[in-house]
Amino acid sequence: MMELTGLTRRFDGVPAVSDVTLTVRDDEYLTLLGPSGAGKSTLLRLIAGLERPDSGSIRLNGEDITHRPTHTRGLGFVQQSYALFPHISVFDNVAFGLRNRLVDPVTDETGVKRRVDAMLELVGLSDLGQRMPGQLSGGQKQRVSLARTLVTEPKICLLDEPLGALDANLRERMTVELRRIREALGVTFMHVTGNEAEALAMGDRMIVLDRGRAVMIDAPDTVYARPATVAVAKFLNAYNVLDGKAEIGGFRHGDVLLPLPEGAARAAHYAVRYDLASIEPAGGAPAPGRAAMPAAFIAREFLGSRVVYFLHRPDGGVFEVERHLSRSDPVDHPKDAALTVTWAVDDVLAFDASGRLIETRRLKGAA
Amino acid sequence: MHHLKVTRGALAVYTALFILFLYGPFVVMGILSFQKGPEGGPQFPILEWSTFWYSHIFGFAPPSRIAPLPIGQALTRSLTLAFATMVVSTILGTLTAQAFRTKFRGSGVVFYLVVLGMMVPGVLLGLGMALVADQLGVARNWWSTAFVLHVVYTFPFAFLVMLAIFNRFDQSVEEAAWALGVPPGRTFRKVTFPMIFPGVLSAMLFAFTLSYDEFPRTLFTGGPNVTMPLAIYGTFAVEIHPNLFAFGVLTTLFSFALLTVYGVLMGASVRRARLRAQGVQEDIA
Amino acid sequence: MDATAAASPSAYAAPAPRESFWRRNRHYLLLAPGVIWMTLFLIAPLAMMVYVSFWTQTTFAISPTLTTRSWEMFLSSQTYLDALLRTLRLWLTVLALTFVIGYPTALFIGQFVRNKTTQTVLLVACVIPFWTSFLIRVIAWRPMLGREGAINIVLMRLGLIDEPIAVLLFTELSVIIGMVQIYVVFMVGPVAFMLSRIDESLIEASRDLGASAWTIFRRVIFPLSLPGVVVGAIFVSVMVLGEFATASALSGRQVNLLGNIIVTQVGSLRWALAAVVGVVLTGVMVVVIAALLSLVNLRREL
Repeated sequence: MMELTGLTRRFDGVPAVSDVTLTVRDDEYLTLLGPSGAGKSTLLRLIAGLERPDSGSIRLNGEDITHRPTHTRGLGFVQQSYALFPHISVFDNVAFGLRNRLVDPVTDETGVKRRVDAMLELVGLSDLGQRMPGQLSGGQKQRVSLARTLVTEPKICLLDEPLGALDANLRERMTVELRRIREALGVTFMHVTGNEAEALAMGDRMIVLDRGRAVMIDAPDTVYARPATVAVAKFLNAYNVLDGKAEIGGFRHGDVLLPLPEGAARAAHYAVRYDLASIEPAGGAPAPGRAAMPAAFIAREFLGSRVVYFLHRPDGGVFEVERHLSRSDPVDHPKDAALTVTWAVDDVLAFDASGRLIETRRLKGAA
Repeated sequence: MHHLKVTRGALAVYTALFILFLYGPFVVMGILSFQKGPEGGPQFPILEWSTFWYSHIFGFAPPSRIAPLPIGQALTRSLTLAFATMVVSTILGTLTAQAFRTKFRGSGVVFYLVVLGMMVPGVLLGLGMALVADQLGVARNWWSTAFVLHVVYTFPFAFLVMLAIFNRFDQSVEEAAWALGVPPGRTFRKVTFPMIFPGVLSAMLFAFTLSYDEFPRTLFTGGPNVTMPLAIYGTFAVEIHPNLFAFGVLTTLFSFALLTVYGVLMGASVRRARLRAQGVQEDIA
Repeated sequence: MDATAAASPSAYAAPAPRESFWRRNRHYLLLAPGVIWMTLFLIAPLAMMVYVSFWTQTTFAISPTLTTRSWEMFLSSQTYLDALLRTLRLWLTVLALTFVIGYPTALFIGQFVRNKTTQTVLLVACVIPFWTSFLIRVIAWRPMLGREGAINIVLMRLGLIDEPIAVLLFTELSVIIGMVQIYVVFMVGPVAFMLSRIDESLIEASRDLGASAWTIFRRVIFPLSLPGVVVGAIFVSVMVLGEFATASALSGRQVNLLGNIIVTQVGSLRWALAAVVGVVLTGVMVVVIAALLSLVNLRREL
C-alpha cells in the first residue's frame, strides 16, 4: 500500500502537481487520467523518485520513501518512450535489473535465465531474446520494456502512457494483455493515460487530474456516471456541458430556459450525456419530465457500432448525440436542418459555480 | 537547373584546387626528404635521390657536421604527456558535461570559464604560467607546469565534444536503469558509458592530437627537457636540413597509423553490440 | 468513497527531511575538479600576467614594486605600436582570406555533396594535414616559396615568368600564405557542418516559390551558415592573434608580431615588458571574441 500526502511540485513557481493526497492499494489497477499538462507524468516521476517534491510525503507500506533515491524504492517504471538499452540484447535488457540492482541482485546466471525466460514467455517474446532493441517493432519494444520492469517484481509498477506510441489496433490488444499480465502477477499497476476510454476500460479505480490536482478518485463507472466536477465531465468526452445560470423556473443558457432537476438551484453548468439525449423534429413541445432545446444539424459520424450526430446549439457551440446502432438505425438529416434535442430532466447533472457536482435528489437516491 | 550543374562543376574543380593547396607543401616536403645527404640542402634541385636523411634520423648515417634530431627522448616525453593530458582532460570534460545535463545557476559563467581555456592564445598562458611558477619558486617541467596547461587547452575540447554527445543522449534510458534498482554509479558504467563511448573516443583523440602537437604553451613552461615540438622548434633557430622533412613524412605516417587505430576502435565498439547478442544466443543454445 | 480529493491546503505540506549530501550537491561535486583546474591554471596565470605588467623591470630580474614604466615604454615605442598594427592587419587579412578561400569549399562539401560518405572523405582529406606537426607544416612552405622553390620552378617551366618571384619568401606575403593554408580548415569545418545540417526541403520550397539560385543562396543558405562562419572566425582569430612561429619561420624574422615580441622579451628575461605585450594581446582577443560571440550563441549551436 502506498500513501501520497499533500504531494506538491512546482516548476519555476508554477505548480505541476499540487497537494495530491491518495492511497494506492495492493493488487489493483489504477488509472490516472488527465489532459496533457495536467501533471500526470510529473506525479508519476515524483513517485518514482525522478523528481523531488517541494512538499508532501510518500509512504510505501508504512515507510517514508519521499527522499529515497529511485534505485532504492523498489518501484517499477515503464516509460512512454520504452527507453530500452540499445547496446544490449532483449534478453540482457530484461536481465539487466536482476543482475545489476543494488538490493538483492541475482548472481546465479541459471536463476536469471529461468526468470527472464519465464517473463519473456509471459509477454509473448520467447523467441526474440537474442534480438537487439533496434530490430523490434513498437509493440515488441513495449513488451520488452514491460518485461524488463516486471521481472524485478516491483511492489508497484508505474506506467507512463504505455500505449501512447502504439497504433490503434495494437493498443486495443495491449489493453487486454496488460490486464492479463497484471492479474497473473498480482502487482499493482498505476497507469497514466490521456485517453478517457483507456482509463475507463482498464482501471479498477481511476484518478482524474486537473491542473495538478486530483479532482476525483473513484471506480470508473462512478466517474463516468457522476463526474465530481465539470472539468471531469469535460475530459470524459461524453457530456454536453452548457454554461449558464439557474433562475426561477429553470436554467438560463443563452436564450433558452431549460428545466432543472430538483435541488439544483445553484447550478452554473448543466451537463447532458451524449447517449442520453435524442433528436426530434423541430417545434413540438417536450414530453413531461423532458427538456428540449432547438439545434441545427451539422454532420454525423459513423463509428462502427455507434453513430454520433453533431448539432449547432443556439449559442453556436456543438451539441453531440450518440446512438447505439443496436437500438436504432442511423438517420440522415440535411445540413442546417432545424431540429430539437431532448433529454430526461432526471438525467441532467448540475454543477455549481466552483464546478462541483450538485447532489440532486435523484443522485442521492441512486447512491 | 543547368545553372546549378555549372556551379556544381565549378565548385568541384575549386575544391580539388583547394585540396591541392592544402597538400602542396607536403608533396614538396616528401620529395625533398629524399635529397642527397649530407651535402644537399632543403631546396631544389634534388642533387641525387637517397634515403640518407631517413637513416640520419635513426642515427644510422655516418657521422657528419649535422647533428641528429634530438628525437628519442623528446618523442617519449611528448607521447607520455599527450597520453596523460588525454586521460585527465577526458575525465574532466566528461564530469563537467555530466553536470551540464541539468540546469543550474551560474552555468553560463562555468561554460565560458571552460571555453576560455581554448580561446586564450598559448603564448599568453605560457607566459602567465611561467610567471606564476617563477614567483612560487616551482621548477618548470614538461610533466608539471606544461602538463597543467595542456589540460587547460584540451579540456574545453573534450568538454564541448561530450556536451554535444550528452545533448543527443536520451536521459530516460538512465532513468529506466535507476527504476530497475540499479544505482547511479553502476548505471553510468553499464548503460551511459557504453552508449557514449564513441563520443568519449573522439574527445580522447582530440585531446591527444592537440597535446602531442602543442607548442606555444610548452615553450615557456616545458623546462630543460624538451618535447618533440620544442625539439623541432630548436632546429629553426639554426639551419634547416632535409632530415626535418624526412621526420615530417614519418610523423605523417605515424598519424595515419593512429587514425587507423581510432577507426578500428570505432568499428569495434559498433560490432561489440552485435557480438554480445550472439553470445546470448550461444548461452541459450 | 473519497469522491473528491482534498482541495484545501494539506496539513502535511511541511518541509520534508533533508536528502543526502551527495544528492543535493551533485552538481558542485561534478563541476569542482574542472572549475578548480581552470581557476588555478588559467585564471591565476592570466591575473599574474596583468599584475606583473606593473612590476619593476631591472636588467635581468623583476621586482614586485608597482610602476607603469613598462606600459609607458610600450606605448611610447614605435616598434611596439607597429607590431600591434601589423598583428591586427595580418589577422584581418588572414581572416578575410580564410573566409573567401574556405567558403566555396565548405559550400561544395556541405551543400553539393549529398552523399554522407563522400562528405566524410572530403572532410577527412582536409583534416589529414593536421596530423603532421604544426611546425613541420610551416617549414614545408620554405621549399615551396623560395627563389628556387617549387612554385617558381613550376611557373618558369610553364613559361609564365622569366625571373623567379622573390617576394614569395621572407616577406609578409609568405607569412600570410602559410597562415591561410594552416588555418583555412578551421573555417571550412564549422561552415560545412552548418551547411550540411540545412534541411533539403527548405531549399526545395524556396525553389518552388520561384527563387533564383542566387536568391536562395543569399536569403537562405548563407544566413543559415552564418553561425559556422562565426565559429570558424573565432578559431582562426584565436590562433592567428597568438601566432609567432609562422612569422619567425617564414619571414626570416622580418615580420614581428606581438607574439614574437613576447617570445623575444621572455628570451631576454624582460618579463614585465612581455607581460605588458601579453595584456595588450589579451585585450585585443577579448574585444574580437566578444564581438564575434555577440553574433552567435555558442551554447545553442551545439
